[in-house]
Amino acid sequence: MKLEMKVDYNPGETGDFLRVDEVRCTGCGRCRMFCTRDVWVRQGSVYRPVNLKDCVECGACWNVCEADAVIFGEPRGGTGVRFTYG
Amino acid sequence: MADFDVIIVGAGCAGPAAAKKSAELGLKTLLLEKAAVPGQKNVSGTCLNSAALVDADLHYLMDGPVEREIREMRTYHIAADRTTAFHEIPTKGILLLSVRRDEFDAWHTEQAKRAGATVQLATSVVDIVEQQGCVRGVVTDKGERHVASVVIDAGGVNSIVGRKAGLIPKRGGHNMILYTTINVYLGREVVDERFGDCIEYYLSEGIQHKTWPWIFPKREVVTIGTGGYMDDRLISGDFPSVNTYMQNFLDLPLVRKKLEGGRIAAWGLHLEFDDVLEQRVKNGLILTGEAGGFVQPFLGEGMPEAFFTGIYAAQAAARAIEAGDVSRERLEESYDDLIESNLFMQAFRYVAAANKESILSMEDGQIVSMMQNVVMGGGFITNVLHNKWMRAAREENLEPLREAYDFMDFIQPYREIGGDFEQIYRERKKR
Repeated sequence: MKLEMKVDYNPGETGDFLRVDEVRCTGCGRCRMFCTRDVWVRQGSVYRPVNLKDCVECGACWNVCEADAVIFGEPRGGTGVRFTYG
Repeated sequence: MADFDVIIVGAGCAGPAAAKKSAELGLKTLLLEKAAVPGQKNVSGTCLNSAALVDADLHYLMDGPVEREIREMRTYHIAADRTTAFHEIPTKGILLLSVRRDEFDAWHTEQAKRAGATVQLATSVVDIVEQQGCVRGVVTDKGERHVASVVIDAGGVNSIVGRKAGLIPKRGGHNMILYTTINVYLGREVVDERFGDCIEYYLSEGIQHKTWPWIFPKREVVTIGTGGYMDDRLISGDFPSVNTYMQNFLDLPLVRKKLEGGRIAAWGLHLEFDDVLEQRVKNGLILTGEAGGFVQPFLGEGMPEAFFTGIYAAQAAARAIEAGDVSRERLEESYDDLIESNLFMQAFRYVAAANKESILSMEDGQIVSMMQNVVMGGGFITNVLHNKWMRAAREENLEPLREAYDFMDFIQPYREIGGDFEQIYRERKKR
């Protein structure tokens, strides 16, 4: 059985609930390293959550960012990732 | 003037428990949940432990929607040369109730509503209201500002309430467990036949790092989880990603056979922290469940802790409101008392710490072979070893312990099941 990352999302705009503070970002890439979903992409000297639509809201990037450059809020109510069985 | 006596943020395990209790205690209660259906933001906690549900506070949870009653438990230790299985079959009794979180949490939220709590779904809390060092309320994504005497945070591991209040720190990847889960659809008959009412745990090299992969049967699907404990080596990239662990797990011949014909229906990811928060209460605010750091990752345990702390937070809030004092000291006094008098929580914290100590003390592969030594040769040898170990402890005498290890060395050559016998046997048969 080949692992597939099948993820379900609610319809609706999540808003920019995950952002980068480009002044603080040191470009270390830990956010990318801990992201299972390839949300973070290097652009120039900083990382940006380019693939935000693939985010599963785990918060690993926020937790591991030593520069406090990851701004991690909440998607708009009723939007974002949707799990079933837990 | 407060809109509510208590506002609870998050309708996972702790939130509805807190809201229900708070409403039952006669408090004007508001429960806010970001998902449209409670439970749809949850990626862990899929089996309710019956050892916790016997507590009278949690009896009502037995009325919730259950996928399967779990009565047996199997643990596989898989090394290159053999697989060893422990299979525990209690004569009577249910070990766990297997649930799906979207249905269970939605049902639980309905119970809070029936008790009189106001429930608002599809509402994200984006900020807290703080005045003179006291949490007074929350702000939602719709721009509403709700004020209450006490806010109960049940917003999970990364809760914005606890973070804004300065109680949930950034853990920096340390003491962090990243868990990935999948649902494999097999259909009810196949799940019945291959798993029945038995949950399974596994340990082998390359399928986890310091965690225990599991397969939990639901009605028509099985959920599978594995992950990695973040230590310095994992952070520096010396270990594969959790998805690699999952793929390696799925590739084990034993697992492949159990999942044959199935299809992956969903994938999920969860973050857990194994550290107790320094402070879980602030003026006007109580943190519960995972937000309060009450999960026990080294036991795969967290739902009972969430139910209990939700209920206790509501009780602490009620007492403080009645006394007209919602200060940290006042709230903490009752909250901590209730937690400390809960034997289940105390016992499981102790067991989790012991398990953590042992699992971190050696490589996963070494644990597999140690466990296989303990059960080697089936009942006869295991019986001798256990008897000597226990006697040594009871008598505070090292001699039986030495005998046990001599015995293990002595028996070791006979434990090798190589191809020699089979080869000779086949050749003789041919003649």
